Amino acid sequence: MEEHPYLFLAVLAGTALVFCLTPLLIARAWAAVFNAAKPGEVKQQVYECGVEAKGDSWVRFHVGYYRYAIVFLVLDVEALFLLPFAVAFGGLSWGASVVILLFLLLAVEGLVWAWKRGALEWA
Amino acid sequence: MRDPEKSSELEETAPPGLPSFQEIRRILEERVEGLRLEFIPNPAAPDQSSFCVPTEFALETARILRDDPRFALDFCSNVTGVDWLDQTVEETILHRETTDEGERTIKEIVRRRRPGFLEAVYHLYSMRARRGPLVIRQRTANRIDRVRVASLTPIWRSAEFQEREVYDLFGVRFEGHPDLRRILMWDEFKDYPMRKDYVEPDDYEYEPTPQGEAAAKARRHYPYGGAR
Amino acid sequence: MVEEGLRNELSRQNIFLTSIQELYNWGRRNSLWPLNFGLACCAIEMIAASMARFDIARFGAEVFRPSPRQADLMIVAGTVTKKMAPMVVRLYNQMPEPKYVIAMGACAISGGPFKRGYNVLKGIDRYIPVDVYIPGCPPRPEALLHGLITLQRKIAGERLTGPERPRHLRELEPSEYPIPAYGPYDLDPPKNTELWHPKPFVRDA
Ligand code: SF4
Repeated sequence: MEEHPYLFLAVLAGTALVFCLTPLLIARAWAAVFNAAKPGEVKQQVYECGVEAKGDSWVRFHVGYYRYAIVFLVLDVEALFLLPFAVAFGGLSWGASVVILLFLLLAVEGLVWAWKRGALEWA
Repeated sequence: MRDPEKSSELEETAPPGLPSFQEIRRILEERVEGLRLEFIPNPAAPDQSSFCVPTEFALETARILRDDPRFALDFCSNVTGVDWLDQTVEETILHRETTDEGERTIKEIVRRRRPGFLEAVYHLYSMRARRGPLVIRQRTANRIDRVRVASLTPIWRSAEFQEREVYDLFGVRFEGHPDLRRILMWDEFKDYPMRKDYVEPDDYEYEPTPQGEAAAKARRHYPYGGAR
Repeated sequence: MVEEGLRNELSRQNIFLTSIQELYNWGRRNSLWPLNFGLACCAIEMIAASMARFDIARFGAEVFRPSPRQADLMIVAGTVTKKMAPMVVRLYNQMPEPKYVIAMGACAISGGPFKRGYNVLKGIDRYIPVDVYIPGCPPRPEALLHGLITLQRKIAGERLTGPERPRHLRELEPSEYPIPAYGPYDLDPPKNTELWHPKPFVRDA
């Protein structure tokens, strides 16, 4: 162990590999012995809602969707910071509170800015 | 059987909350030039007499029914179809005759063949004034090739899907409908299933308690039919 | 192969033996994932069966999958109209093997109250193989549970090898069935004659 400090990494990687491959191998073996594979044209279709797919899956999304997503993402990450803040709220010093409020203010300001620019309107 | 005496009597009645049929006829015929409404009495239990509006005036008449404050029928709750086959109808005609003993009325019953037609029936209500229904009908010229009536979707948006349904099931073509496609049956379907002479596909074999036609059908598939 | 009697005896001594076949069937029958769809009023009873009062989860079938790729069981719950039938068959085709079908309610079995109508398919078994039929209009949730248990029994009895092995283990049996097309008057074809063989109907005079 002393000579090979990174040996455990190799062991872990090997175990992970075995864990992944064993079910696959068992499935393969099972299929070979008992269960004939039955692929089919309808079975392999991309769309799976019972109706036949029409057209291309490479369609353009509305740009409003992108703006929505960005705003959502920003506020989502912000919520992540709020959680530890709320947990530690009781024992926080003045300075820390002011800092987090500053951070909140920045995020809200961003939201207001996006709102004003019409990013939240779907049109 | 239509009784002319009864008919004029019924015309004096009124749909709930609205002027009497006579009055409605007077107002409409005054405002729409050339319009002649046919009064169709219904002395049966539902007591919903109606007007048959000629197709060429239907749109104009409908607009008045919706916009005139005397009607204000702003809601078309129901559009449906009726299929009338060719039939022999009996009509009673009243004659007045003067004889030696004085005047008397003779009732004469006339039989005549009435060619079939399709009908679109509209039930109109007023949401604003909370009254109705007033029933109006449109008739096609026949059942085969002259099956056009005016679409009232431009007046009542709620008629859109129901007119599509009438088109789908009865084959009435609504002129001026924004999107006249089949709505219940698939697009490739050819027939009009609610017509009285529709023949359904022979697509079931067994029926536990068949009667009449279904029994004959079941017998084609099984020697004893269904249960006997 | 250990005999049944000996195995019971051993299990009484807390020694459990099993065979691959049994293990395989046991696993499958206790995790039947139904496809998440309903067609008419019967679906309401199916939904009721999945809720707390009837709790289909007791039988391992609570995971209603919204994708046919993840489902084992198709519960045809409700009226199959002719317009809907191709979609149902296509969904069945897209389910991976092994797959089972429960026809729930009079409509799915035979057209039910709409049997003499023009727009309802007279039984889904005209296009896809049905394993369990649950009569009723609608069948109560208990009936659905009973149908499910019946299907589980059927799965428990399936053999891995030999001529009696089930459909999905036989190479020549198809896993897809032809999807009917919309015809001018009826579905085309109106039934899959290779699949659907109505029993000859004989009645004592
Ligand atoms: S069998 Fe009865 S309850 Fe079930 S879908 Fe048909 S009509 Fe509805």
